Amino acid sequence: MQSSHNLTFTSATQPYSMLLAGFGGVVLVLFLVSCSSIPLMQRGTPPGEESALPPRYSMAFIIHGDGDYLYHDPQGNARRADQEAFLEATTVAERNPQAQVFIFHEIRRKHALLIFPRRDGKFYYYRHGQLLAQESYWRDQGQSRFDPEVTLYHRFRAGEQPQPLRLFFYFGHEIPEFGGAGYDASYSQRTFTVLDLADGLKRIAPDSSRFDLIVLSTCFNGTPYTIAALAPYARTIVASPDNLHLSYFDLQPFERLDVGLRDGDMAGFAKIFARQTFDRLTEDIQTAVTVAVYDVDSVQGYLHAVDSVYYHTLNTLKGQTPGSIKHCDCADDPVYVLPGMSEGVEVFYRPSRFGRLKQKQNHSGWECWMLLN
Amino acid sequence: MLTRTVFGVIVMMFVLVQAANAGGNDGIQKYFNDTASKVKATADPAEKRAILDKSLQTMSKALDKVQSSPLISKEDRAGIDQFKAALQENQDELRGSNGYQRVPDAQLNAFSDYVVQNMEQADRSITISLVAALLIVIIIILLV
Repeated sequence: MQSSHNLTFTSATQPYSMLLAGFGGVVLVLFLVSCSSIPLMQRGTPPGEESALPPRYSMAFIIHGDGDYLYHDPQGNARRADQEAFLEATTVAERNPQAQVFIFHEIRRKHALLIFPRRDGKFYYYRHGQLLAQESYWRDQGQSRFDPEVTLYHRFRAGEQPQPLRLFFYFGHEIPEFGGAGYDASYSQRTFTVLDLADGLKRIAPDSSRFDLIVLSTCFNGTPYTIAALAPYARTIVASPDNLHLSYFDLQPFERLDVGLRDGDMAGFAKIFARQTFDRLTEDIQTAVTVAVYDVDSVQGYLHAVDSVYYHTLNTLKGQTPGSIKHCDCADDPVYVLPGMSEGVEVFYRPSRFGRLKQKQNHSGWECWMLLN
Repeated sequence: MLTRTVFGVIVMMFVLVQAANAGGNDGIQKYFNDTASKVKATADPAEKRAILDKSLQTMSKALDKVQSSPLISKEDRAGIDQFKAALQENQDELRGSNGYQRVPDAQLNAFSDYVVQNMEQADRSITISLVAALLIVIIIILLV
């Protein structure tokens, strides 16, 4: 009887034992995968072994996806802004036979079986339209930002003689000017501000040379502070001073730079891009659409003139709750309305079709902060 | 029995975490997107207006209920206040009250898109915790 009981017990638990054994196997594999530092995939010709001419264009994309990036298109389809931006960036990479393209996709940290952390960054390197390398990587776990991205950039970049036209793109939510905690959903305590981005750009830029174009596909970063922070690293900046819908800037103009940018006039090209992206956004978006092009050298006078007052405002805002401050057009605050305010700034603006600000007919191209009450 | 229970708990935790990650803010945005789809699906302007009005009212009620919950932090209450203020602006414009011109019948489809897009953008400036967002979604499901 005893024996029979044991036999029955063993038979009943056998599937669970096998299940647990299988579970253990999966755990082991996931553990090894999550901790390994070996590139997941590397295909094509390794960098440096290629006989093609050096790239004429060098583009770097940072696409932040570690947050809430859901939006709906006018047909009601749910879309993820970071995934859409990533697809557009890969199209740009594939259609530029004279470019090298770095794509960094910062994704939400996930755990295999709730325990084993998985890599939270994906890197893609294209040259001459071909995907040459693809790696998953760990983003910074501590305070510093972009260390892994800077390392990967320098590891893969092709010899830059003659120096290519260099472009940098950032896709994400508004890059904070102060505070900055909670920007990454996966790392709620970690802070990220415009100064962190500026530091990353400084370390990417070889020999302190400037990017020919920086595109900030974010909300509210067309401010005197943000432009001043990035100014040492850019000749031309395209950004939105106001809200920017998550459908973001349209990257289509960057496909075939060898055709669109044949004359090398990046400032002129930036304006064409801004116009085109503005036209595309205004087709579908009912909220305000504002795209500004900043000629960095020409806006220096205005930036110096408002630097101290803006900095003072930022210090005042640091202790305030989110509900007690809001963005506003700098032109709505008399202290920022100075001669030269519009010098070096080209603004494409259409007010919101509904809401309190639908009557606002123009925008200075500079966004500031307002303390409520 | 113990093995079965442990395995069940692991699976349940996995499902709950996934649901929580996807359910909060995404659920709120989906709610407004569903409203826009319903508005566009009908040709009658009065019906469009009624759908929008009811949708905004239901969300306001859900926010009131969540705000009065003891589970909600002070920060969440402030975030919900902002959220309610944004909804009230939408409702005022729809009805033509508080200094707003009433949204014309011909623009109700566009207005429904505006509500969706405005909420998607407000998502960054209005900070609500995952717990609060989940509670809002649950109450919305109960109210609808």
